[in-house]
Amino acid sequence: MQRRSVPLIAAILLGLFIIGCAHAPINAPLSRYQPNAGYRFANLTPGDNTDSLFVVLTFSGGGTRAASLSYGVLKALSETTITWQGKTKRLLDEVDLISTISGGSFTGAYYALFGDWTFDEFESRFLKRDIEGELTGELWNPVTLIRLASPSFDRIDLAAELYDRTIFEDKTYEALVSRPRRPFLVISATNMSLGERFDFTQDRFDQLGSDLSSYPVARAVAASSAFPILLSPITLENHPSPPGYEQPDWVKNALGDYNLNRRRYLQDKEWMVYHDKTDHPYVHLLDGGLADNIGLRYVTDSIRDADRPGGIRQLINQVKIDTLVVIIVNARTEPSEPIDKKARAPGVARVAMKTATVTMDNYSFETIELIKDIAVAREQAQRSVRDCRQLLAERCPAAAPPPELKEMKFYVIEVNFENIADPKEREEFLSLPTSFKLDPAVVDRLIQKGGDLLRQSPEFKDLLKELH
Amino acid sequence: MEYLIVHFPETRRVLIDGGDQGRTGDTIELEAGTYTVSLSPSDDIKPKKRRIMLSRTSPIMPKEITFAKT
Repeated sequence: MQRRSVPLIAAILLGLFIIGCAHAPINAPLSRYQPNAGYRFANLTPGDNTDSLFVVLTFSGGGTRAASLSYGVLKALSETTITWQGKTKRLLDEVDLISTISGGSFTGAYYALFGDWTFDEFESRFLKRDIEGELTGELWNPVTLIRLASPSFDRIDLAAELYDRTIFEDKTYEALVSRPRRPFLVISATNMSLGERFDFTQDRFDQLGSDLSSYPVARAVAASSAFPILLSPITLENHPSPPGYEQPDWVKNALGDYNLNRRRYLQDKEWMVYHDKTDHPYVHLLDGGLADNIGLRYVTDSIRDADRPGGIRQLINQVKIDTLVVIIVNARTEPSEPIDKKARAPGVARVAMKTATVTMDNYSFETIELIKDIAVAREQAQRSVRDCRQLLAERCPAAAPPPELKEMKFYVIEVNFENIADPKEREEFLSLPTSFKLDPAVVDRLIQKGGDLLRQSPEFKDLLKELH
Repeated sequence: MEYLIVHFPETRRVLIDGGDQGRTGDTIELEAGTYTVSLSPSDDIKPKKRRIMLSRTSPIMPKEITFAKT
């Protein structure tokens, strides 16, 4: 062997060693099923946070733009003082649930992990950083290039490592389990095979036979923001069901509900897929925006669906909620579209972009209308009972009145750029890009705008009248 | 939504598919569908469980079911 080939062989061996060592963390199996343990809403201690005022926040996708807008809303809630059941507190301290997608997941996860430290750290830790540049820099690192040659390590794993190291301090869900206080954080991604939402909760991980507690929060955030093609999917293992885990009653019942309630039937089919460990030994997750870019579907499901343990429906039926508040932070943009000004048909890139976003935008619109419809239906049901009882009391006092329905106030508040009054400013915000790099001055304006839009909302003003 | 009231001579927790959904005598809101209804505690109750199909109710005319005390 020639002496000069020794360094080459050593470099190849080192490269192979790095490739062999490069692997992403895997979701751990669950040793036994414990419904009273793990990251579930029902396991959180309410503390001073009441059930009677139940506040839900949803943070949409949209990169740093969405993260900044939702952070502005969090900040405004921390500056809003309310009086509820004789106690004066911040409205932020009554937030029970935060459901997040993609860019919004960074804000939600940071607040759930670090609480009020968010207001000292989050801007410099995430919002005002050039995350895109840092990821690109990592990509050109020779060691990274070698690691990426491993079949167990991909671009999304690189991103998750960066988020873990520089934003989320290597925290796993155990940090949320061991500090069991509200708000409950639900980060959502999209199950690529089912095309359905995938929530990072222990209830979902039970179906994978997996323990969420040891899973890094940064990887959930990375899955939620794994924009297709730019970033690869995150993969989870679908482990065997743990001892003690049985098919819930609702699964047996919903199987026959195809004609009666198609949504419930489909949830049942989804449950079956996760329990088919032979044909589905892995689950691949993409950006949550593909299934629901608003983060609101977890909430509408939780309000309608009694099959979810610890869900909002359960609390409503238990007559625990007097006022339900859903604040939707929607960072949707609408860049001006010049294509109709030209006779020439748009090119492939523009057609591809439209194909990817048109359906998503339409679905988001319908999702927001859906929760408004749910709120109106509840109000109508309460009014029907109230009116009927009053009519009977006036005109037929001997008749038995219909059963009472608990009076519950339901506020749906949406923060979006469409509500900016000034047309020029509105267009400016509606044209902001989706990226993980924004000028710090733009970030400051987004933070300010998030708070302003919340405070200007007529529904929010109505809510504050009730809470003072 | 659909509406259900479960009757029993005493106040008990109403379990729908095993999950606590309120008390006997209160209006319980559920999506249309098939459910297993039971009460807790259930020692002195007959029958122990009832399987019901919930559809076409209203808040004025909920579905009403009764469990007897043994």
